[in-house]
Amino acid sequence: MATVIAAPSAPGGPEGSVVEVIGRPDQHRKRMARLGWMFTTPALIFIGAVTLFPIGFAVLLSFENVNVTGSGFQLNGLTTANYSLVFGNSTWHYALAFTLGFTFVTVVIELVLGTMIALVLERLTRGRGWMMALLLIPWSLITVISAKLWAYIYDPTFGIADSILHGLGLGDPTILGTNAGAIIGMIIAEVWKTTPFVAIIVLAGLVMLPQEIYEAADVDGASGWTTFWRVTFPLLRPTLALAVLFRVLQAFGLFDLPFVLTQGGPGHATTSLAVLGYDAMFQNLEFGPGSAVATTTALLVVMGCMLFLKVFKAQVGEEDL
Amino acid sequence: MRKRKRTGWRRYVNGITISTTVTVLFVTLPLYLMLASSFKGAKGIGSAAFYPKDFSTSNYNNAFSQYTFARYILNSVLIAVITTALVLFLSTMAGYALGRLPMRAKLPVMVALLMISVFPAIAVIAPLFLLMKTIHWLNSYQALIVPYTAFNLPFAIWIMRNYMLGIPKEMEETSRIDGAGPLRTLWSIVLPQAKPGLFTAGIFTFTACWTEFLMALSFNSDNNFRTIPVGTALFGSPFTIPYGTIFAASMVAVVPIAILVLIFRKSVVSGLTAGAVKG
Repeated sequence: MATVIAAPSAPGGPEGSVVEVIGRPDQHRKRMARLGWMFTTPALIFIGAVTLFPIGFAVLLSFENVNVTGSGFQLNGLTTANYSLVFGNSTWHYALAFTLGFTFVTVVIELVLGTMIALVLERLTRGRGWMMALLLIPWSLITVISAKLWAYIYDPTFGIADSILHGLGLGDPTILGTNAGAIIGMIIAEVWKTTPFVAIIVLAGLVMLPQEIYEAADVDGASGWTTFWRVTFPLLRPTLALAVLFRVLQAFGLFDLPFVLTQGGPGHATTSLAVLGYDAMFQNLEFGPGSAVATTTALLVVMGCMLFLKVFKAQVGEEDL
Repeated sequence: MRKRKRTGWRRYVNGITISTTVTVLFVTLPLYLMLASSFKGAKGIGSAAFYPKDFSTSNYNNAFSQYTFARYILNSVLIAVITTALVLFLSTMAGYALGRLPMRAKLPVMVALLMISVFPAIAVIAPLFLLMKTIHWLNSYQALIVPYTAFNLPFAIWIMRNYMLGIPKEMEETSRIDGAGPLRTLWSIVLPQAKPGLFTAGIFTFTACWTEFLMALSFNSDNNFRTIPVGTALFGSPFTIPYGTIFAASMVAVVPIAILVLIFRKSVVSGLTAGAVKG
Protein backbone atom coordinates (compact mmCIF):
# COMPACT_ATOMS: atom_id res chain seq x y z
CA MET A 1 0.00 0.00 0.00
CA ALA A 2 1.03 3.57 -0.52
CA THR A 3 2.42 5.42 2.41
CA VAL A 4 1.85 9.06 3.23
CA ILE A 5 3.84 11.34 1.04
CA ALA A 6 5.28 14.36 2.81
CA ALA A 7 2.71 17.11 2.43
CA PRO A 8 3.86 20.34 0.88
CA SER A 9 3.76 23.03 3.52
CA ALA A 10 2.26 25.68 1.31
CA PRO A 11 -0.84 25.33 -0.82
CA GLY A 12 -0.15 24.85 -4.48
CA GLY A 13 2.20 21.91 -4.12
CA PRO A 14 2.99 19.44 -6.87
CA GLU A 15 -0.61 19.24 -8.00
CA GLY A 16 -0.80 22.95 -8.81
CA SER A 17 -3.40 25.43 -7.70
CA VAL A 18 -6.37 23.22 -8.42
CA VAL A 19 -5.81 21.10 -5.36
CA GLU A 20 -6.95 23.95 -3.14
CA VAL A 21 -10.43 23.42 -4.47
CA ILE A 22 -10.39 19.69 -3.79
CA GLY A 23 -9.18 19.77 -0.21
CA ARG A 24 -5.92 19.34 1.59
CA PRO A 25 -3.25 18.26 -0.90
CA ASP A 26 -1.83 15.42 1.17
CA GLN A 27 -5.25 13.89 1.77
CA HIS A 28 -6.22 14.15 -1.84
CA ARG A 29 -2.91 12.69 -2.92
CA LYS A 30 -3.30 9.79 -0.55
CA ARG A 31 -6.79 9.09 -1.79
CA MET A 32 -5.60 9.18 -5.38
CA ALA A 33 -2.70 6.85 -4.62
CA ARG A 34 -5.07 4.37 -3.00
CA LEU A 35 -7.33 4.62 -6.02
CA GLY A 36 -4.31 3.96 -8.21
CA TRP A 37 -3.60 0.69 -6.45
CA MET A 38 -7.28 -0.24 -6.63
CA PHE A 39 -7.13 0.27 -10.39
CA THR A 40 -3.86 -1.63 -10.79
CA THR A 41 -4.46 -4.59 -8.49
CA PRO A 42 -6.87 -6.60 -10.70
CA ALA A 43 -4.38 -6.60 -13.57
CA LEU A 44 -1.48 -7.44 -11.26
CA ILE A 45 -3.40 -10.33 -9.68
CA PHE A 46 -4.12 -11.75 -13.14
CA ILE A 47 -0.50 -11.44 -14.23
CA GLY A 48 0.88 -12.75 -10.96
CA ALA A 49 -1.43 -15.77 -10.89
CA VAL A 50 -0.62 -16.87 -14.42
CA THR A 51 3.04 -15.87 -14.74
CA LEU A 52 4.89 -15.22 -11.48
CA PHE A 53 3.31 -17.97 -9.42
CA PRO A 54 3.71 -20.65 -12.14
CA ILE A 55 7.31 -19.59 -12.77
CA GLY A 56 8.04 -20.21 -9.10
CA PHE A 57 6.17 -23.50 -9.32
CA ALA A 58 8.13 -24.44 -12.46
CA VAL A 59 11.40 -23.93 -10.60
CA LEU A 60 10.07 -26.18 -7.82
CA LEU A 61 8.96 -28.80 -10.36
CA SER A 62 12.40 -28.78 -11.93
CA PHE A 63 13.80 -29.90 -8.56
CA GLU A 64 11.07 -32.48 -7.95
CA ASN A 65 10.42 -36.06 -8.74
CA VAL A 66 7.09 -35.51 -10.50
CA ASN A 67 4.61 -38.30 -11.13
CA VAL A 68 1.64 -37.50 -13.34
CA THR A 69 -1.36 -39.65 -12.48
CA GLY A 70 -4.76 -40.03 -14.08
CA SER A 71 -6.47 -37.41 -11.94
CA GLY A 72 -3.60 -35.13 -11.01
CA PHE A 73 0.04 -35.37 -10.06
CA GLN A 74 2.32 -36.29 -7.15
CA LEU A 75 5.54 -34.72 -5.99
CA ASN A 76 7.86 -37.38 -4.61
CA GLY A 77 10.59 -35.39 -2.99
CA LEU A 78 13.32 -32.94 -3.88
CA THR A 79 16.05 -34.00 -6.24
CA THR A 80 18.67 -32.53 -8.53
CA ALA A 81 18.40 -35.53 -10.81
CA ASN A 82 16.36 -33.59 -13.39
CA TYR A 83 19.17 -31.12 -13.93
CA SER A 84 21.93 -33.70 -14.03
CA LEU A 85 19.81 -35.67 -16.50
CA VAL A 86 19.32 -32.59 -18.67
CA PHE A 87 22.85 -31.21 -18.46
CA GLY A 88 24.35 -34.60 -19.26
CA ASN A 89 22.00 -35.23 -22.16
CA SER A 90 23.44 -34.92 -25.65
CA THR A 91 20.02 -34.07 -27.13
CA TRP A 92 19.83 -31.07 -24.80
CA HIS A 93 23.34 -30.01 -25.79
CA TYR A 94 22.30 -30.19 -29.42
CA ALA A 95 18.97 -28.39 -28.83
CA LEU A 96 20.79 -25.58 -27.00
CA ALA A 97 23.38 -25.22 -29.78
CA PHE A 98 20.65 -25.44 -32.43
CA THR A 99 18.44 -22.82 -30.76
CA LEU A 100 21.38 -20.42 -30.31
CA GLY A 101 22.64 -20.98 -33.86
CA PHE A 102 19.20 -20.74 -35.45
CA THR A 103 18.46 -17.55 -33.50
CA PHE A 104 21.79 -16.00 -34.52
CA VAL A 105 21.60 -16.89 -38.21
CA THR A 106 17.94 -15.93 -38.71
CA VAL A 107 18.26 -12.65 -36.80
CA VAL A 108 21.35 -11.62 -38.82
CA ILE A 109 19.63 -12.44 -42.13
CA GLU A 110 16.42 -10.70 -41.08
CA LEU A 111 18.33 -7.63 -39.97
CA VAL A 112 20.24 -7.30 -43.24
CA LEU A 113 17.21 -8.02 -45.44
CA GLY A 114 14.86 -5.96 -43.28
CA THR A 115 17.18 -2.95 -43.37
CA MET A 116 17.56 -3.25 -47.14
CA ILE A 117 13.78 -3.39 -47.60
CA ALA A 118 13.30 -0.43 -45.25
CA LEU A 119 15.91 1.65 -47.13
CA VAL A 120 14.12 0.92 -50.41
CA LEU A 121 10.67 1.67 -49.01
CA GLU A 122 11.89 4.95 -47.52
CA ARG A 123 12.83 6.19 -50.99
CA LEU A 124 9.53 5.05 -52.42
CA THR A 125 7.51 8.13 -53.30
CA ARG A 126 4.20 6.43 -53.91
CA GLY A 127 2.52 3.38 -52.42
CA ARG A 128 4.53 3.23 -49.20
CA GLY A 129 1.33 2.74 -47.18
CA TRP A 130 0.38 -0.23 -49.35
CA MET A 131 3.81 -1.77 -48.95
CA MET A 132 3.56 -1.42 -45.16
CA ALA A 133 0.16 -3.10 -45.30
CA LEU A 134 1.59 -5.91 -47.41
CA LEU A 135 4.44 -6.45 -44.96
CA LEU A 136 1.96 -6.78 -42.10
CA ILE A 137 0.31 -9.83 -43.64
CA PRO A 138 3.11 -12.34 -42.89
CA TRP A 139 3.39 -10.81 -39.41
CA SER A 140 -0.31 -11.46 -38.71
CA LEU A 141 -0.27 -14.93 -40.26
CA ILE A 142 -0.75 -17.90 -37.93
CA THR A 143 2.70 -19.55 -37.70
CA VAL A 144 1.13 -23.00 -37.90
CA ILE A 145 -0.45 -22.07 -41.23
CA SER A 146 2.81 -20.69 -42.65
CA ALA A 147 4.55 -23.89 -41.48
CA LYS A 148 1.97 -26.00 -43.36
CA LEU A 149 2.45 -23.78 -46.41
CA TRP A 150 6.21 -24.34 -46.37
CA ALA A 151 5.72 -28.06 -45.78
CA TYR A 152 3.68 -28.08 -49.00
CA ILE A 153 6.38 -26.11 -50.83
CA TYR A 154 9.09 -28.52 -49.61
CA ASP A 155 7.09 -31.70 -50.23
CA PRO A 156 9.37 -34.32 -51.83
CA THR A 157 6.86 -35.48 -54.45
CA PHE A 158 4.84 -32.41 -55.46
CA GLY A 159 6.58 -29.47 -53.78
CA ILE A 160 7.38 -26.36 -55.81
CA ALA A 161 10.83 -26.07 -54.23
CA ASP A 162 11.52 -29.66 -55.21
CA SER A 163 10.55 -29.09 -58.84
CA ILE A 164 12.62 -25.88 -58.97
CA LEU A 165 15.70 -27.71 -57.67
CA HIS A 166 15.00 -30.47 -60.16
CA GLY A 167 14.69 -27.94 -62.97
CA LEU A 168 18.06 -26.46 -62.00
CA GLY A 169 19.56 -29.90 -62.43
CA LEU A 170 20.22 -30.43 -58.74
CA GLY A 171 18.54 -33.81 -58.63
CA ASP A 172 15.62 -34.65 -56.36
CA PRO A 173 16.70 -33.88 -52.83
CA THR A 174 14.18 -34.62 -50.10
CA ILE A 175 14.55 -31.17 -48.57
CA LEU A 176 13.15 -31.91 -45.12
CA GLY A 177 14.67 -35.40 -45.11
CA THR A 178 18.26 -34.32 -44.62
CA ASN A 179 19.68 -32.43 -41.63
CA ALA A 180 21.08 -29.56 -43.67
CA GLY A 181 18.01 -29.37 -45.91
CA ALA A 182 15.61 -29.27 -42.96
CA ILE A 183 17.62 -26.57 -41.18
CA ILE A 184 17.97 -24.39 -44.30
CA GLY A 185 14.31 -24.93 -45.15
CA MET A 186 13.29 -23.82 -41.68
CA ILE A 187 15.55 -20.76 -41.84
CA ILE A 188 13.90 -19.69 -45.11
CA ALA A 189 10.41 -20.18 -43.66
CA GLU A 190 11.32 -18.19 -40.54
CA VAL A 191 13.02 -15.40 -42.50
CA TRP A 192 9.99 -15.11 -44.79
CA LYS A 193 7.60 -14.67 -41.89
CA THR A 194 9.61 -12.31 -39.68
CA THR A 195 11.72 -10.13 -42.00
CA PRO A 196 8.69 -7.87 -42.67
CA PHE A 197 8.47 -7.19 -38.92
CA VAL A 198 12.11 -6.03 -38.86
CA ALA A 199 11.58 -3.96 -42.02
CA ILE A 200 8.63 -2.11 -40.47
CA ILE A 201 10.53 -1.27 -37.28
CA VAL A 202 13.61 -0.11 -39.21
CA LEU A 203 11.48 1.94 -41.60
CA ALA A 204 9.82 3.70 -38.66
CA GLY A 205 13.28 4.48 -37.31
CA LEU A 206 14.50 5.74 -40.69
CA VAL A 207 11.57 8.08 -41.17
CA MET A 208 12.34 9.77 -37.87
CA LEU A 209 15.97 10.58 -38.74
CA PRO A 210 16.61 14.30 -39.36
CA GLN A 211 16.75 15.06 -43.09
CA GLU A 212 19.32 17.86 -42.76
CA ILE A 213 22.06 15.36 -41.99
CA TYR A 214 21.51 13.67 -45.34
CA GLU A 215 21.62 17.00 -47.14
CA ALA A 216 24.87 17.80 -45.38
CA ALA A 217 26.33 14.44 -46.37
CA ASP A 218 25.19 15.00 -49.94
CA VAL A 219 26.80 18.44 -50.06
CA ASP A 220 30.00 16.89 -48.75
CA GLY A 221 29.86 14.53 -51.71
CA ALA A 222 29.51 11.36 -49.67
CA SER A 223 28.50 8.30 -51.66
CA GLY A 224 25.37 6.35 -50.79
CA TRP A 225 27.44 3.59 -49.23
CA THR A 226 29.48 6.01 -47.07
CA THR A 227 26.34 7.88 -46.06
CA PHE A 228 24.74 4.66 -44.90
CA TRP A 229 27.66 3.47 -42.80
CA ARG A 230 28.74 6.86 -41.47
CA VAL A 231 25.38 8.59 -41.00
CA THR A 232 22.36 6.31 -41.18
CA PHE A 233 23.70 3.26 -39.38
CA PRO A 234 25.00 5.02 -36.23
CA LEU A 235 21.77 7.01 -35.88
CA LEU A 236 19.70 3.90 -36.47
CA ARG A 237 21.54 1.79 -33.94
CA PRO A 238 19.01 2.10 -31.08
CA THR A 239 16.19 1.08 -33.44
CA LEU A 240 18.18 -1.85 -34.79
CA ALA A 241 19.08 -2.91 -31.25
CA LEU A 242 15.43 -3.03 -30.25
CA ALA A 243 14.47 -4.95 -33.37
CA VAL A 244 17.21 -7.44 -32.53
CA LEU A 245 16.02 -7.73 -28.93
CA PHE A 246 12.41 -8.46 -29.96
CA ARG A 247 13.49 -10.99 -32.55
CA VAL A 248 16.04 -12.78 -30.36
CA LEU A 249 13.53 -13.16 -27.54
CA GLN A 250 10.95 -14.56 -29.93
CA ALA A 251 13.34 -16.82 -31.84
CA PHE A 252 14.66 -18.29 -28.61
CA GLY A 253 11.19 -19.60 -27.76
CA LEU A 254 10.98 -21.21 -31.23
CA PHE A 255 8.28 -23.88 -31.13
CA ASP A 256 5.43 -23.61 -33.67
CA LEU A 257 7.56 -23.81 -36.81
CA PRO A 258 9.66 -26.93 -36.01
CA PHE A 259 6.69 -28.65 -34.33
CA VAL A 260 4.58 -28.43 -37.49
CA LEU A 261 7.17 -28.31 -40.28
CA THR A 262 9.70 -30.95 -39.20
CA GLN A 263 8.48 -32.35 -35.84
CA GLY A 264 12.03 -31.58 -34.68
CA GLY A 265 13.49 -33.97 -37.21
CA PRO A 266 15.01 -35.62 -39.07
CA GLY A 267 16.29 -37.24 -35.92
CA HIS A 268 16.81 -34.27 -33.63
CA ALA A 269 18.20 -31.96 -36.32
CA THR A 270 15.61 -29.20 -35.78
CA THR A 271 14.73 -29.84 -32.13
CA SER A 272 14.67 -26.46 -30.37
CA LEU A 273 14.74 -26.11 -26.59
CA ALA A 274 10.99 -25.47 -26.49
CA VAL A 275 10.26 -28.53 -28.65
CA LEU A 276 12.52 -30.64 -26.42
CA GLY A 277 10.78 -29.39 -23.27
CA TYR A 278 7.33 -29.96 -24.78
CA ASP A 279 8.23 -33.49 -25.93
CA ALA A 280 9.63 -34.38 -22.53
CA MET A 281 6.46 -33.21 -20.82
CA PHE A 282 3.69 -34.23 -23.19
CA GLN A 283 5.14 -37.16 -25.14
CA ASN A 284 7.01 -38.85 -22.29
CA LEU A 285 5.13 -37.30 -19.33
CA GLU A 286 8.47 -36.41 -17.74
CA PHE A 287 7.44 -33.18 -16.07
CA GLY A 288 10.52 -32.94 -13.85
CA PRO A 289 13.12 -33.00 -16.64
CA GLY A 290 10.75 -31.04 -18.90
CA SER A 291 10.53 -28.31 -16.28
CA ALA A 292 14.31 -28.30 -15.96
CA VAL A 293 14.59 -27.69 -19.73
CA ALA A 294 11.93 -24.97 -19.59
CA THR A 295 13.47 -23.28 -16.54
CA THR A 296 16.98 -23.15 -18.01
CA THR A 297 15.52 -21.75 -21.26
CA ALA A 298 13.69 -19.02 -19.35
CA LEU A 299 16.81 -18.26 -17.32
CA LEU A 300 18.87 -17.90 -20.49
CA VAL A 301 16.26 -15.52 -21.94
CA VAL A 302 16.23 -13.34 -18.82
CA MET A 303 20.04 -13.30 -18.60
CA GLY A 304 20.34 -12.42 -22.27
CA CYS A 305 17.77 -9.68 -21.85
CA MET A 306 19.56 -8.13 -18.87
CA LEU A 307 22.92 -8.31 -20.59
CA PHE A 308 21.41 -6.64 -23.62
CA LEU A 309 19.84 -3.84 -21.59
CA LYS A 310 23.19 -3.22 -19.89
CA VAL A 311 25.07 -2.98 -23.18
CA PHE A 312 22.25 -0.96 -24.70
CA LYS A 313 22.19 1.50 -21.79
CA ALA A 314 25.94 1.95 -22.02
CA GLN A 315 25.58 2.68 -25.73
CA VAL A 316 22.69 5.11 -25.89
CA GLY A 317 22.78 6.54 -22.40
CA GLU A 318 20.26 6.20 -19.63
CA GLU A 319 17.84 8.96 -20.56
CA ASP A 320 15.72 6.71 -22.73
CA LEU A 321 15.14 3.99 -20.20
CA MET B 1 23.48 18.37 -56.39
CA ARG B 2 23.58 16.15 -59.42
CA LYS B 3 20.28 15.11 -60.83
CA ARG B 4 20.18 12.63 -63.63
CA LYS B 5 17.17 12.96 -65.89
CA ARG B 6 15.89 9.57 -66.86
CA THR B 7 13.93 9.16 -70.04
CA GLY B 8 11.83 6.39 -71.56
CA TRP B 9 11.80 3.02 -69.85
CA ARG B 10 14.76 4.02 -67.66
CA ARG B 11 12.37 6.21 -65.70
CA TYR B 12 10.53 3.16 -64.46
CA VAL B 13 13.23 0.52 -64.32
CA ASN B 14 15.63 1.58 -61.61
CA GLY B 15 17.05 0.19 -58.38
CA ILE B 16 14.07 1.23 -56.31
CA THR B 17 11.37 -0.27 -58.49
CA ILE B 18 13.33 -3.48 -59.01
CA SER B 19 13.95 -3.91 -55.28
CA THR B 20 10.33 -3.11 -54.51
CA THR B 21 9.16 -5.68 -57.03
CA VAL B 22 11.48 -8.31 -55.58
CA THR B 23 10.16 -7.55 -52.09
CA VAL B 24 6.56 -7.77 -53.23
CA LEU B 25 7.21 -11.12 -54.94
CA PHE B 26 9.10 -12.44 -51.90
CA VAL B 27 6.14 -11.68 -49.65
CA THR B 28 3.26 -12.52 -51.95
CA LEU B 29 4.40 -15.64 -53.84
CA PRO B 30 3.97 -18.07 -50.91
CA LEU B 31 0.66 -16.38 -50.04
CA TYR B 32 -0.50 -16.65 -53.63
CA LEU B 33 0.49 -20.32 -53.66
CA MET B 34 -1.71 -20.90 -50.62
CA LEU B 35 -4.67 -19.16 -52.28
CA ALA B 36 -4.17 -21.02 -55.58
CA SER B 37 -3.74 -24.39 -53.89
CA SER B 38 -6.91 -23.95 -51.86
CA PHE B 39 -8.79 -24.10 -55.18
CA LYS B 40 -6.89 -27.12 -56.52
CA GLY B 41 -8.84 -30.33 -56.91
CA ALA B 42 -7.75 -33.78 -55.77
CA LYS B 43 -5.38 -34.12 -58.72
CA GLY B 44 -4.00 -30.60 -58.75
CA ILE B 45 -3.04 -30.58 -55.09
CA GLY B 46 -0.56 -33.38 -55.82
CA SER B 47 1.25 -31.35 -58.46
CA ALA B 48 3.77 -28.54 -58.32
CA ALA B 49 1.53 -26.21 -60.34
CA PHE B 50 1.36 -22.50 -59.67
CA TYR B 51 -2.32 -22.32 -60.58
CA PRO B 52 -5.30 -24.67 -60.09
CA LYS B 53 -5.65 -26.59 -63.35
CA ASP B 54 -8.69 -28.42 -62.00
CA PHE B 55 -10.40 -25.47 -60.29
CA SER B 56 -12.75 -26.62 -57.55
CA THR B 57 -14.24 -25.32 -54.32
CA SER B 58 -14.54 -28.79 -52.79
CA ASN B 59 -11.72 -28.01 -50.32
CA TYR B 60 -13.86 -25.28 -48.78
CA ASN B 61 -16.80 -27.64 -48.46
CA ASN B 62 -14.61 -30.34 -46.93
CA ALA B 63 -13.16 -28.03 -44.28
CA PHE B 64 -16.64 -27.40 -42.94
CA SER B 65 -18.35 -30.74 -43.62
CA GLN B 66 -15.68 -33.45 -43.23
CA TYR B 67 -13.73 -31.55 -40.61
CA THR B 68 -15.09 -29.50 -37.71
CA PHE B 69 -13.42 -26.34 -38.84
CA ALA B 70 -16.48 -24.21 -38.00
CA ARG B 71 -16.05 -25.27 -34.39
CA TYR B 72 -12.37 -24.19 -34.37
CA ILE B 73 -13.34 -20.78 -35.75
CA LEU B 74 -16.04 -20.39 -33.12
CA ASN B 75 -13.58 -21.33 -30.36
CA SER B 76 -10.92 -18.95 -31.65
CA VAL B 77 -13.37 -16.07 -32.00
CA LEU B 78 -14.87 -16.60 -28.53
CA ILE B 79 -11.48 -16.86 -26.84
CA ALA B 80 -9.94 -13.93 -28.73
CA VAL B 81 -12.92 -11.61 -28.22
CA ILE B 82 -13.35 -12.30 -24.49
CA THR B 83 -9.60 -12.04 -23.89
CA THR B 84 -9.34 -8.77 -25.80
CA ALA B 85 -12.26 -7.28 -23.84
CA LEU B 86 -10.69 -8.34 -20.53
CA VAL B 87 -7.26 -7.04 -21.49
CA LEU B 88 -8.63 -3.68 -22.63
CA PHE B 89 -10.67 -3.23 -19.45
CA LEU B 90 -7.87 -4.19 -17.05
CA SER B 91 -5.10 -2.38 -18.95
CA THR B 92 -7.12 0.84 -19.19
CA MET B 93 -7.53 0.96 -15.41
CA ALA B 94 -3.94 -0.04 -14.69
CA GLY B 95 -2.53 2.18 -17.43
CA TYR B 96 -4.50 5.15 -16.09
CA ALA B 97 -3.27 4.55 -12.56
CA LEU B 98 0.35 4.02 -13.60
CA GLY B 99 0.30 6.93 -16.01
CA ARG B 100 -1.61 9.59 -14.11
CA LEU B 101 -2.21 8.82 -10.45
CA PRO B 102 0.34 9.67 -7.75
CA MET B 103 1.28 6.11 -6.79
CA ARG B 104 4.57 5.07 -5.34
CA ALA B 105 6.64 2.21 -6.76
CA LYS B 106 5.40 2.88 -10.28
CA LEU B 107 8.81 2.28 -11.83
CA PRO B 108 9.36 -1.16 -10.23
CA VAL B 109 5.89 -2.22 -11.38
CA MET B 110 6.56 -1.09 -14.96
CA VAL B 111 9.96 -2.78 -15.05
CA ALA B 112 8.51 -5.99 -13.60
CA LEU B 113 5.82 -5.95 -16.30
CA LEU B 114 8.51 -5.56 -18.96
CA MET B 115 10.49 -8.50 -17.58
CA ILE B 116 7.39 -10.71 -17.40
CA SER B 117 6.47 -9.91 -20.99
CA VAL B 118 9.75 -11.41 -22.28
CA PHE B 119 9.27 -14.73 -20.50
CA PRO B 120 8.93 -17.62 -22.98
CA ALA B 121 5.59 -19.42 -22.73
CA ILE B 122 7.33 -22.81 -22.46
CA ALA B 123 8.45 -21.83 -18.95
CA VAL B 124 4.91 -21.81 -17.56
CA ILE B 125 3.41 -24.67 -19.56
CA ALA B 126 4.23 -27.43 -17.05
CA PRO B 127 2.99 -25.72 -13.88
CA LEU B 128 -0.12 -24.32 -15.57
CA PHE B 129 -0.91 -27.72 -17.07
CA LEU B 130 -0.63 -29.46 -13.69
CA LEU B 131 -2.64 -26.72 -11.93
CA MET B 132 -5.38 -26.85 -14.55
CA LYS B 133 -5.43 -30.62 -14.39
CA THR B 134 -5.97 -30.39 -10.63
CA ILE B 135 -8.82 -27.88 -10.82
CA HIS B 136 -10.32 -29.56 -13.95
CA TRP B 137 -9.76 -26.61 -16.26
CA LEU B 138 -8.14 -28.55 -19.10
CA ASN B 139 -10.30 -28.47 -22.27
CA SER B 140 -12.27 -25.37 -21.44
CA TYR B 141 -12.43 -21.78 -22.66
CA GLN B 142 -11.04 -20.34 -19.43
CA ALA B 143 -7.96 -22.57 -19.80
CA LEU B 144 -6.89 -20.23 -22.60
CA ILE B 145 -8.70 -16.98 -21.76
CA VAL B 146 -6.99 -16.62 -18.37
CA PRO B 147 -3.38 -17.20 -19.52
CA TYR B 148 -3.88 -15.18 -22.72
CA THR B 149 -5.19 -12.27 -20.66
CA ALA B 150 -2.22 -12.43 -18.31
CA PHE B 151 0.36 -12.73 -21.09
CA ASN B 152 -1.06 -9.84 -23.12
CA LEU B 153 -1.67 -7.47 -20.20
CA PRO B 154 1.94 -6.22 -19.72
CA PHE B 155 2.25 -4.89 -23.27
CA ALA B 156 -1.28 -3.45 -23.18
CA ILE B 157 -0.60 -1.68 -19.88
CA TRP B 158 2.59 -0.16 -21.31
CA ILE B 159 0.76 1.06 -24.40
CA MET B 160 -2.18 2.49 -22.44
CA ARG B 161 0.14 4.17 -19.97
CA ASN B 162 2.18 5.79 -22.74
CA TYR B 163 -0.95 7.18 -24.40
CA MET B 164 -2.36 8.42 -21.10
CA LEU B 165 0.89 10.20 -20.24
CA GLY B 166 0.41 12.33 -23.34
CA ILE B 167 -3.03 13.68 -22.37
CA PRO B 168 -2.94 17.25 -21.01
CA LYS B 169 -3.47 17.33 -17.27
CA GLU B 170 -5.71 20.41 -17.41
CA MET B 171 -8.62 18.53 -18.99
CA GLU B 172 -8.68 16.07 -16.16
CA GLU B 173 -8.47 18.80 -13.54
CA THR B 174 -11.29 20.76 -15.11
CA SER B 175 -13.46 17.69 -14.97
CA ARG B 176 -12.53 17.13 -11.35
CA ILE B 177 -13.46 20.70 -10.44
CA ASP B 178 -16.77 20.16 -12.15
CA GLY B 179 -17.37 17.51 -9.53
CA ALA B 180 -16.81 14.36 -11.60
CA GLY B 181 -15.43 11.35 -9.74
CA PRO B 182 -12.26 9.60 -10.85
CA LEU B 183 -14.09 6.79 -12.65
CA ARG B 184 -16.27 9.31 -14.47
CA THR B 185 -13.18 11.32 -15.41
CA LEU B 186 -11.45 8.22 -16.71
CA TRP B 187 -14.47 7.17 -18.74
CA SER B 188 -15.53 10.47 -20.29
CA ILE B 189 -12.35 12.56 -20.40
CA VAL B 190 -9.28 10.32 -20.48
CA LEU B 191 -10.53 7.29 -22.41
CA PRO B 192 -11.68 9.16 -25.55
CA GLN B 193 -8.21 10.72 -25.76
CA ALA B 194 -6.53 7.34 -25.36
CA LYS B 195 -8.55 5.72 -28.15
CA PRO B 196 -5.54 5.06 -30.43
CA GLY B 197 -3.97 3.17 -27.53
CA LEU B 198 -7.09 1.02 -27.20
CA PHE B 199 -6.92 0.15 -30.91
CA THR B 200 -3.24 -0.77 -30.70
CA ALA B 201 -3.59 -2.85 -27.53
CA GLY B 202 -6.76 -4.45 -28.88
CA ILE B 203 -5.40 -5.49 -32.27
CA PHE B 204 -2.19 -6.86 -30.72
CA THR B 205 -4.08 -8.90 -28.14
CA PHE B 206 -6.53 -10.21 -30.71
CA THR B 207 -3.76 -11.23 -33.12
CA ALA B 208 -1.77 -12.88 -30.33
CA CYS B 209 -4.81 -14.95 -29.26
CA TRP B 210 -5.64 -15.81 -32.86
CA THR B 211 -2.14 -17.15 -33.59
CA GLU B 212 -1.08 -18.69 -30.24
CA PHE B 213 -0.23 -22.37 -30.51
CA LEU B 214 1.81 -23.81 -27.61
CA MET B 215 -0.70 -23.22 -24.80
CA ALA B 216 -3.70 -24.06 -26.96
CA LEU B 217 -2.02 -27.34 -27.93
CA SER B 218 -1.07 -28.22 -24.35
CA PHE B 219 -4.24 -27.24 -22.51
CA ASN B 220 -7.05 -27.91 -25.00
CA SER B 221 -6.43 -31.22 -26.76
CA ASP B 222 -10.13 -32.12 -26.96
CA ASN B 223 -11.47 -31.57 -30.49
CA ASN B 224 -14.38 -29.48 -29.16
CA PHE B 225 -12.06 -26.90 -27.63
CA ARG B 226 -9.34 -26.71 -30.27
CA THR B 227 -8.55 -23.30 -31.70
CA ILE B 228 -7.70 -22.64 -35.37
CA PRO B 229 -3.91 -23.15 -35.04
CA VAL B 230 -4.30 -26.45 -33.16
CA GLY B 231 -7.05 -27.66 -35.46
CA THR B 232 -4.90 -26.81 -38.50
CA ALA B 233 -1.78 -28.45 -37.09
CA LEU B 234 -3.60 -31.69 -36.27
CA PHE B 235 -5.61 -31.87 -39.50
CA GLY B 236 -5.40 -35.23 -41.26
CA SER B 237 -2.92 -37.93 -40.33
CA PRO B 238 0.87 -38.05 -40.57
CA PHE B 239 0.57 -40.15 -43.74
CA THR B 240 -2.03 -38.22 -45.68
CA ILE B 241 -2.01 -34.50 -45.16
CA PRO B 242 -5.05 -32.95 -46.86
CA TYR B 243 -3.23 -29.81 -48.02
CA GLY B 244 -6.13 -28.55 -50.12
CA THR B 245 -8.48 -28.59 -47.14
CA ILE B 246 -5.81 -27.09 -44.89
CA PHE B 247 -5.27 -24.17 -47.26
CA ALA B 248 -8.98 -23.61 -47.75
CA ALA B 249 -9.44 -23.50 -43.99
CA SER B 250 -6.33 -21.30 -43.70
CA MET B 251 -7.73 -18.77 -46.15
CA VAL B 252 -10.90 -18.56 -44.07
CA ALA B 253 -8.78 -18.02 -40.94
CA VAL B 254 -6.29 -15.63 -42.49
CA VAL B 255 -8.47 -13.28 -44.53
CA PRO B 256 -10.53 -11.75 -41.66
CA ILE B 257 -7.45 -11.06 -39.53
CA ALA B 258 -5.56 -9.69 -42.53
CA ILE B 259 -8.44 -7.29 -43.26
CA LEU B 260 -8.53 -6.29 -39.60
CA VAL B 261 -4.78 -5.64 -39.61
CA LEU B 262 -5.02 -3.64 -42.84
CA ILE B 263 -7.86 -1.49 -41.49
CA PHE B 264 -5.96 -0.81 -38.25
CA ARG B 265 -2.52 -0.75 -39.88
CA LYS B 266 -1.65 2.63 -38.36
CA SER B 267 -2.37 1.25 -34.87
CA VAL B 268 -0.35 -1.88 -35.60
CA VAL B 269 2.66 0.05 -36.85
CA SER B 270 2.53 2.40 -33.87
CA GLY B 271 2.42 -0.63 -31.58
CA LEU B 272 5.30 -2.35 -33.34
CA THR B 273 7.40 0.78 -33.12
CA ALA B 274 6.30 1.79 -29.60
CA GLY B 275 9.44 0.23 -28.19
CA ALA B 276 11.66 1.75 -30.85
CA VAL B 277 10.25 5.22 -30.30
CA LYS B 278 9.85 5.25 -26.55
CA GLY B 279 12.91 3.25 -25.58
